[in-house]
Parts: sequence; structure tokens; C-alpha cells
Amino acid sequence: MNRMHGIIFAYGQCPKLQTLVEQRVADSIPYAARYRIIDFMLSNMVNAGVTDVGVILQDKYQSMLDHLGSGKDWDLSRKHGGLRLLPSVPKSDPSRPFRGKMEALASVESYVQRIRQEYVVLANGALICNMPLGDVLEEHIRSGADITCVCAPGNVAENPTTYMINEAGDVTDVVSRSAVTGGYSGLEVYIIGKKLLLELIAECDGHNEYSFHRAVLQSRRNRLKLHAYVFQGYAARIMSVAEYYARSMELLNSSVRADLFIPERPIRTKDRSDASTYYGPKSHCINSLISDGCIIEGEVVNSILFRGVHVEKGAKINGCILMQDTVIHAGATLRYAIADKNVTVNENRMLMGHSSYPLAISKFGVV
Amino acid sequence: MKKQVVAMLLAGGQGSRLYVLTGKVAKPAIPFGGKYRIIDFPLSNCVNSGIDTVGVLTQYQPLELNSYIGSGQPWDLDQSDGGVHILPPYVAQGDQGTWYKGTANAIYQNIGFIDLYEPEYVVILSGDHIYKMDYANMVNRHKESGAACTISVMEVPWAEAPRFGIMNVDEEDNIVEFEEKPKEPKSNLASMGIYCFSWKALREYLIEDEADKTSQNDFGKNIIPKMLSDGKKMVAYRFSGYWKDVGTLDSLWDANMDMLAGNNGLDVFDTEWPIYARAPRKAPAYLGEQAVVSHSVVTQGSIIEGSVENSVVAHSVTVGEGASVRYSVVMPNVVIGPGAVVEYAILGEGAHVGAHAKVGAPPETAEDPEKWGIAVIGPFCEIAAEETVAPNQMLDRDHKEVARK
Repeated sequence: MNRMHGIIFAYGQCPKLQTLVEQRVADSIPYAARYRIIDFMLSNMVNAGVTDVGVILQDKYQSMLDHLGSGKDWDLSRKHGGLRLLPSVPKSDPSRPFRGKMEALASVESYVQRIRQEYVVLANGALICNMPLGDVLEEHIRSGADITCVCAPGNVAENPTTYMINEAGDVTDVVSRSAVTGGYSGLEVYIIGKKLLLELIAECDGHNEYSFHRAVLQSRRNRLKLHAYVFQGYAARIMSVAEYYARSMELLNSSVRADLFIPERPIRTKDRSDASTYYGPKSHCINSLISDGCIIEGEVVNSILFRGVHVEKGAKINGCILMQDTVIHAGATLRYAIADKNVTVNENRMLMGHSSYPLAISKFGVV
Repeated sequence: MKKQVVAMLLAGGQGSRLYVLTGKVAKPAIPFGGKYRIIDFPLSNCVNSGIDTVGVLTQYQPLELNSYIGSGQPWDLDQSDGGVHILPPYVAQGDQGTWYKGTANAIYQNIGFIDLYEPEYVVILSGDHIYKMDYANMVNRHKESGAACTISVMEVPWAEAPRFGIMNVDEEDNIVEFEEKPKEPKSNLASMGIYCFSWKALREYLIEDEADKTSQNDFGKNIIPKMLSDGKKMVAYRFSGYWKDVGTLDSLWDANMDMLAGNNGLDVFDTEWPIYARAPRKAPAYLGEQAVVSHSVVTQGSIIEGSVENSVVAHSVTVGEGASVRYSVVMPNVVIGPGAVVEYAILGEGAHVGAHAKVGAPPETAEDPEKWGIAVIGPFCEIAAEETVAPNQMLDRDHKEVARK
């Protein structure tokens, strides 16, 4: 226990996420009716006994600061250690985004130096999975690897990185997906010793190398023992609105929920003290994922409702994702729409997207 | 650190009128209204009223209550100065100290705790009432009137007055007489069991009451009548709104059903006066392809594949395909098997109803209305597949029948 430190990269900029990232980074997009995507990785760490987590932020982090707060909802509000928010910029040019993880790590080098644990797990805040990081650490120690890279069979999003693995479970090659057939998709979750991490940060910084993928995994592959941990559970990365919609709708499938919501490894999130959801006498609600604090008086089919959503009488919702505190007034019809937080859809409006091209409405939008 | 007001919450009662539901849990820790436990109401009222120092007096089966309150964080009562404190009876100096003998004795034994904060006023609350009240208004009334004791009262229907402690008041709402369950009530102002005392006065009365070996050390039976007969200024604070004592099975069921009525004065969706609760970490609720949910509340972590009508469903409940739940209170972690029918029932935490079992029945189907009542399944009780539990029947966790007295 407590031999591992967590570092989360939470500055994901994905232009294809359009309105979903207008005021936030990919890592803090609301997901699964009551969470933010980062809740999954943060909970994975806490569930593995990690007590100290640094979250590297850059730009548009207001929503993240508001969500994470002191870290108390993840039991990370500690006198010693706990959650550390690390807003940062590239050392060489503060005005541009990080070009890679090594550049981001170099910008928080003094933080990394003060880490009191022997091992560090590096992960993206935007990866959706319920991963037993404690098991990954055990395998890391058992294999004697320098770096353990977590990967998954099959394709996770539009993934550019593929690991080729030998029988011993070690990584023999790191290539882009298009160049090979077979192999495993890299999930960009790594466990590495603190000492080696600091050496690599210094080396890469000195040589103006910035990408973990290229500078560490590819260039130094012959020098380092890279071990692969194959994760069999559900994993998703979201790069576009269509992907967000598809990955969200998968949650209506009970096997996906069973993979993400594991009683022994609960996903923690910011508590809001909502009442239980009320379903009115004339409501009709099927095949939907519903958070607390909603008032449902209309029809809700194949949809995902976040906390505090109000669907008035006669409103019809089908195939929609309605985020926190959205109000759908009487008689409105929505199909294949994504309403961001606090959206208001007035009476008798009709909004239709398509499952291949869902209609996304910005935060505080009024229709 | 000096505080103007300290609240003391009486949470040690055995709750014997809730029978099997309070077998291993103190009454205030009983789940209520889907998301809550009873104690969430007085605790949230304290915080919303600006009272940040609360002593919770526990005695009977305190484990679940203690872990539920924990550091007090869900109610913002995890403070370095004040906050929520669990106060069990303790042994002081040799053999001194006993179980809490009565409500007044419970406070007497914690004079030391209250003295730490040198409060002007002490508010005494019950752990088995469902209501929203701004205690600051009662304290203000107390301050302005210069009373030694202010008692919160509400008008009840005259017919029901003989069931309550009735306060007879003069035209300025000074209390002139207190009658416990009067046969012929002179007023319909019922005491709600919520008091505000000037600490200096109460402290003296508690010490005096303790010295009286004939006293039952109870607020209603001893302290209040004594203060009245001594001619202390005592005033009534009139409360109007939703208030319910949920000390009996019927009133607990009623109050849960009241939760479903939108205009009951207990709007739990009101963000101005939120009721906080310690929420378990659960996935959102899932309503399946065949789900029918109407005029009901359902809480996170629940999976509904059957039908739920006029019911209150807590977190992590499973309602199987073809199962029907009507007019019932379903507590956390209950499993209702496929095809089971649950009507007019209270299902305790973790109870398990087998497939096609039948629990309870509507009152209109009863041959003898006198013998009809809600069915009660104790926590963790297992009802076998196709078993029938009759209306008014009550089973404990070991499936033993318990008679209502």
C-alpha cells in the first residue's frame, strides 16, 4: 500500500469535441450520468491505495478546479500528501500547449522530485476505465520492468499506438496502428520508478525531447525493459462528439456497466446532495440511466440523464444525453441530442440529430 | 471557543415501536425517503439555521449511526471548531456515570460538553422527526421574549390533540399550562419536542433534577413542568409546515408516502434549504426495457426491470422483471425477485424477496379491515420464492414472526 504516486495529465484539447470542450478540457467532460471523465482515473488510483495524486493542468481548467476542489470526495484532502493541482505551462514557451507528456513532466519537475513514493503511475485523465492499478503495480514489481505499459486487446478509439508483445509479456515494438496488424492498443497508463522517471525527465528536457511515446518508448526501447500489462476490461477514449455519444450510449448495455461500476472499486465523484429522482404519474421511462435529483414527468427512452434534470409533462426524449440541471419544458421533443449543463429547451420545441451526428447544445443554451 | 447556540440531538431512543426495523440500528439511522436517513433532517436543519455545533446523544445500537455521521462532512459539520460530536454515555471518576436514564439526564451527563462552548442558548432536538425548520427563528423568538424556555408548537386537528403533549397559552403565547395527552384538551397547540433553553437556566434545572431521586429525568415529565410551576417565563414558538414524528411503523410509512406529494411543505428539491445525506458511491439508476415507474422516487444504484408505483425506493435496490411494487417503502440493498408482488409494505435494508413471492396486500382486499395493516420485512430477512407474507404480518431478520403490541 501507498508505494505508488499518481500523476494525471488533464489538459486534453480535442477540437473535434466541439461544444463539449468550449469551456473545459476533455478530461472534465461529464460522463455516465453523474461523473466527469477524470473521476475514473482518479478513483482507479484511490482504489489502488494511492494517497498522493498530482493533476497537471493547462488552460480551461476552471471546471476542473471546481470539480476536484480540495479532493475530499476522493478522500484526497490530506494534511500530508493528497491531491495537488498543478497548473503549468511549457518551460521553453509558456504561450503554447504542451507538445507531449515529457514536456509536461519537465514543467513540474520540482514536484516530481518531492514525491515520497518509490513508484509513479502516469495516466491520462481522459481515459474511461475501471482499472486495478494495484494489480498493475504488482506485475510491474514482479516482472522487474523499468516501465510497465498498460494496453488492451482490440481497438480503443482512434488509437495511434500499438504494442507488439513477446511471450514473456515484454514490449518488443511500439508502432502506429496503421503500420501493423495485430498487437495491443496502448492506453497510455504507465508505471515507472521515481528515480528513473526523474532521469528521463532531465535527459529529455536537455535534448529537447517532449513525447513520452517517441522519446521514451520508441527511442529508448533498447535500453529499457518495457513490460506490457494487458487490461481486459472496458476502456474508452473520447476524441469527438460522435465518439462521446457512442461511448455514452454503450452504458445502456449492462455488460459495459458491469465493467465500469465494480462494487469493490467504486467510482467516486463530487457529491451534490440531490434528492432521489421523482417519476410523475404520467411518466414513461425505459432503457435509461438516470441520476439522482431529476424530476421526470414526460417520456424518456434510451437516454442518459445527469443530476437535476427536469423533463416536463408531454416532453419526449429519445436517444439523448441531458447534462446537469437541464430543463426540457412541456411538449418539447428531442431525439439524438446532447444538452450540455443548464440547457433550457422551451415548450413544444423539436430538436433532432442522428445517432451518427448527434446535435450538441452548448452549456446554458436556450432553445 | 464560545458559541451562541449549541444543539443537542437526542438519538439514543430504542425505537421499540418500529419493532424489527430497529433491531440492530438506532431509530435516527433508519433510511427514509429514498436518499436519506431520519437524522439527516435535524442535522441539515442545524446547518441551514447556522448552528455549527451539534452533540448527538447516542446509546442504543449506535454503530451504524456513528459510522453514518462519521466526521460530519456530508453536513459540513467537519469543523475544527465545533462540528458534530457523538456523545455516548461514559464513566467519569471511578464509578460515576450511568446509561442515559432519561432525556434530561442525557443532557445532564454532557454538561461538560456544552460548557466547553459557553453557549447562551441550547436547542434540544429529537432524532425521529421529519421536518424543515429554521431554528434561528425559534432562537430569535426566545431572545426577544426573554424566556427561560421556548417550546416549538404546532396546531394539530382537535380530534388528534389528545395524542400529544398540549401547551395552553395566554394571548401573548406565554405557556401557562402543559398537559401530556389530555382527554379534554383546552388547546390544539402540540409540543413538537423541540426546545430552546437559556443555558444558564437549564443548567441549574438539570442539576436540581438530577438530585431529585424521584424524578424520571425527562424533559416533558420533569424539567418543563418544574420550570412552569416555578413561574419561569416560558413561551411557545408557533411552527407551521410539514412535521411528522416517525416513531411508529404506520407514521414511518405515511411520511414516506408524503414524500411523493409535491406540495407537502417538505420540498426536498428546494436548493434554498437542502437536506444533506451521506451518499453511497453508486452508479446512476438504470430503468430497463420493461420498467414502469410512476409517482415514485428511485435512487442511484438501483436497477428497475419491473413496475414501481406510489413507492419510495432507496439506493441499490433491484426490482426484477415482471415484479410489481406498489405503495411500499423499499430500503437500501433490497432485492425483489422476478414476478414478486409487494404491496403496502416496508422492506428493511438488505431484505430479499424471492421470485413470485407475495408481500402485503391493499386494504380494499382485506376481509376484516381491523386486522389489515402494512406488511413489514426486517433487514436482511429472506422471503423464499412463491412465499406469501400476509398484510399486517411482520418478520424479523431471521424470518421469525413478531407480533405488534
